[in-house]
Amino acid sequence: MEAFGLLLHGFTVLLTGKTLLLMMVGLVLGIFVGVLPGLGGPNGVAILLPLTFTMDPTSAIVMLSCIYWGALFGGAITSILFNIPGEAWSVATTFDGYPMAQQGRAAEALTAAFTSSFIGSLCAVLLITFLAPMISSFALRFGPPEFFAVYLLTFCSFVGLGREDKHKTIISMALGLLLTGIGMDTISGQLRMTFGSTDLLRGINFLVAVIGLFGISEILLTMEERLALRGHAAAISLRVILSVWKDLPKYWVTLIRSSFIGCWLGITPGGAIAASFMGYNLAKRFSKEPDSFGKGRIEGVFAPETAAHASGTAALLPMLALGIPGSGTAAILLGGLMVWGLNPGPLLFVEHKDFVWGLIASMYLGNVVGLVLVLSTVPIFASILRVPFAAIAPMIVVSCAIGAYAIQNAMFDIWLMLLFGVVGYVFKKISIPLAPFTLALVLGSRAEDAFRQSMIGSGGDLGVFWSNGLVGSITTLALVLLFWPVIDKACSRVGQMLRPAKA
Amino acid sequence: MRHLAKIAAVGAAVLLSSPALAWEPTKPVEIVVAAGAGGASDQMARMIQAAVQKNNLMKQPIVVSLKGAASGAEALIYMKSSDGDPNKVLIAYSLIYMLPLSAKIPFNWRDLSPVAVIAMDQFVLWDNAGKPYKNVKEFIDAAKAASTPFKMGGTGSKREDQVLTVFMEKKTGAKFVYLPYKSGGEAATQLVGNHIDSNVNNPSENLEIWRAGQARPLCVFDKERISYTAKVTETQSWHDIPTCKEEGLDVQYLMLRAMFLPGKVTPEQTAFYVDLFKKVSETPEYKDYMEKQALKPIFLTGKDMTKFLEEDDALNKSLMTEAGFVAK
Amino acid sequence: MLLNAEYPMSTTDTEIVVEDPTAPEGDSPSVASTRSVDVVVSILLFALACVLGFDNWRTGISWDESGPQAGYFPFYLCVILGAASLYGIFAALRNRGEASETFVTRAQLRRVLQVFVPTLLFCIAMQFLGLYVASFLLTAGFMRLVGRIAWWKSLLTAFIFTAAMFITFDIAFDVIMPKGPLEAAFGY
Repeated sequence: MEAFGLLLHGFTVLLTGKTLLLMMVGLVLGIFVGVLPGLGGPNGVAILLPLTFTMDPTSAIVMLSCIYWGALFGGAITSILFNIPGEAWSVATTFDGYPMAQQGRAAEALTAAFTSSFIGSLCAVLLITFLAPMISSFALRFGPPEFFAVYLLTFCSFVGLGREDKHKTIISMALGLLLTGIGMDTISGQLRMTFGSTDLLRGINFLVAVIGLFGISEILLTMEERLALRGHAAAISLRVILSVWKDLPKYWVTLIRSSFIGCWLGITPGGAIAASFMGYNLAKRFSKEPDSFGKGRIEGVFAPETAAHASGTAALLPMLALGIPGSGTAAILLGGLMVWGLNPGPLLFVEHKDFVWGLIASMYLGNVVGLVLVLSTVPIFASILRVPFAAIAPMIVVSCAIGAYAIQNAMFDIWLMLLFGVVGYVFKKISIPLAPFTLALVLGSRAEDAFRQSMIGSGGDLGVFWSNGLVGSITTLALVLLFWPVIDKACSRVGQMLRPAKA
Repeated sequence: MRHLAKIAAVGAAVLLSSPALAWEPTKPVEIVVAAGAGGASDQMARMIQAAVQKNNLMKQPIVVSLKGAASGAEALIYMKSSDGDPNKVLIAYSLIYMLPLSAKIPFNWRDLSPVAVIAMDQFVLWDNAGKPYKNVKEFIDAAKAASTPFKMGGTGSKREDQVLTVFMEKKTGAKFVYLPYKSGGEAATQLVGNHIDSNVNNPSENLEIWRAGQARPLCVFDKERISYTAKVTETQSWHDIPTCKEEGLDVQYLMLRAMFLPGKVTPEQTAFYVDLFKKVSETPEYKDYMEKQALKPIFLTGKDMTKFLEEDDALNKSLMTEAGFVAK
Repeated sequence: MLLNAEYPMSTTDTEIVVEDPTAPEGDSPSVASTRSVDVVVSILLFALACVLGFDNWRTGISWDESGPQAGYFPFYLCVILGAASLYGIFAALRNRGEASETFVTRAQLRRVLQVFVPTLLFCIAMQFLGLYVASFLLTAGFMRLVGRIAWWKSLLTAFIFTAAMFITFDIAFDVIMPKGPLEAAFGY
């Protein structure tokens, strides 16, 4: 019941005029970046993050989390109206959403998308509310070996479960880890890989890298394609909304299944994008008429959207409680928290109760306010797409530059951003995945510090990673995930060998 | 020599300046913090920001910019490259002596313009309140008897915390394993979780866990006890913590908290800030802050400050050399 | 009738059409194959691994009594990166699919450069003119020269955008941005 009291307290912190205003501003900005081609959640949050540096942490996180919700909502708008997924996890929404818009049912599709987003996030928020206190109670058990084991688990799950070429994932991750090593080494106080440059002394800020890798490179990629758009403007009337909501109970199985998939994959690091596809595929598989999917079936909007948003929200739980981000946007939020001196990780729940519950309360409020806001402003946002790309592109470049510069007030970072823009463009085209790279940039130096602190503590004995049940099971799980493809293959081979033997 | 002449000129400017002619900032003033968010320097910067704003000490707003990358070296380089810019003030601490020695950072505090020393920070030896040893002697005996060396946590590598650890080892013969963390806050929570046996945090960094009954102060590394006698926990005040010397551990270290402008600013500009920080040090916000963080009040400027800095520099250099932390 | 009542929007929908007069032609010749770019990137990564690896080797890569030295991890990461990029070169050369795949066509490259070159110029201009003037020039110039939008529209949009940025960052949030002679002339 403690959770409930703390949550109520969180609401009282938030229910002030200023906070509600910030919430609206955040949502509008979020929807804006969600709708803009080539921006989307992670990039939008990365660019807007420095805006919040001058605020107090509570206002800042309220605004940021609202930008996050806004971006999640906004992604659906372009997917449905123009068949352009704003984010990777909106791709599955286009399968049935765009056909619906073509049939003139855009309003219905949008309502379905927003409503299911709301349901998905709400399920995940409930999960966070009731699981977070449990996680914080074993918070203090985390010393350096435990931290390292958790980071190891995250890295291993990327290598083991990723679908890209293994060597490309490894290149991406190794490069990211190497770049975080630049600058001063915390453990020995020595400088590394700076080659005498005072600019490199600072190290490579991951936000600068992310703005380049995603923002700038996306513009370069967008330019390659034909920019002609053809879509349907839509307004939403109360009548459509009500008629969609009336049908909602019919799809309860789909909604629950998708929420469950979303929560589960969101907590698993890196699983957020997979969730929407999995939600869609399962809905199609269990449907009585699977052939009608892809031709404008409302269930085909409900399923992926619910899953995508449940996972997007659930991804915040491992970020807050364990310091591991479950999605790209969560990774950027993680960086933001560290800027405010809030070290995400098990101790956040002990040390900054106010902040954590304020954030959770803002998830509830942000969702409700967001739903109302998107339903009423769809036509305005859709019209952004009528603005020619030639006007939007330079504005995105300028926003990226402002974002990159504001982080450390360094002109060097502008050049770094440009360089990462080119790197991101080339990497995307030769399919080197960027997610492990970003992850390594965020967690790399912390993982190394934790490892070396463990080594100093244990006198160089690797056994420390199996020294108790907690750290031992995490480390073992990490190794299992790393070698999963091999294990999987071995298991099926053993299975094949046994079967004929029995026959 | 040039430097002394400058200081003399500053002194003269303080005496001669009349309010009408005095220089004043025309842009927002940036307080540069050489540490991460929430650390002692950051809190001090926010206190100054609040004190200046509430008491209307300056027309322009104050912006706090955190430049804690590379253990604060980022801030030093930033200040060094801002020659002649009177809108940036650095909150300096012992890193201005230590970083150039341990990491060969191309920086010398003499390149900046000293404004004022505004406080001295204490160091306290802490252990986990759940442990059986209640005073320094018991703690050191336990450390000597332990089969694996005790773990000491601290901020950064080859800095004040580790120097203190090395000197504790030298004076007592006990062995410690030093674990460097990114911040004092991290060292504090690791102490609570029993992942380290002790730390030498500043009072402000362990204040909360002391009040929560999770950490126990053993002794303070100063010649005299902390002067604040108001109760901090149910039973103890800062004054109740014995000095390490009283407890038979003769190690002392105090850390300066001082303000610097970039190099090549005019004497009028320095004079403005000397005056500003003098006023800040008289505000209730400042006094309240000093007591809460158990800082030692001090206000040095002009020649006194330069003399203090030279002596302090020499002392830190000898400590670093003796501890073996000077990079070749 | 029922259908219309259910979906009243269908009759009021307005179609949005955004034409792109400068779109790249589909039949433009290829500049480079994905395979050759893959090989070049792998070689560059390998070179980077060697340079960084050497620096870390100098820092110290052994394992002393307090665990690994500062260069230990980065050094082995360089080894991993180097090995993976060598494998990458090998895999790319063997991959026939990539050889026929186009990395970029001439028309696409021209379009990409149309964004990249102005961005580069913008970054250079920022050093001398400050962020706001540079962003005005970028927005106006890009809209006019690349987007072929009327001069007055381009200038007006650029001005409004730059002013909005200035008010948001400089005035409302006190975020310090690089400034040039123009802002100095106005006393900022």
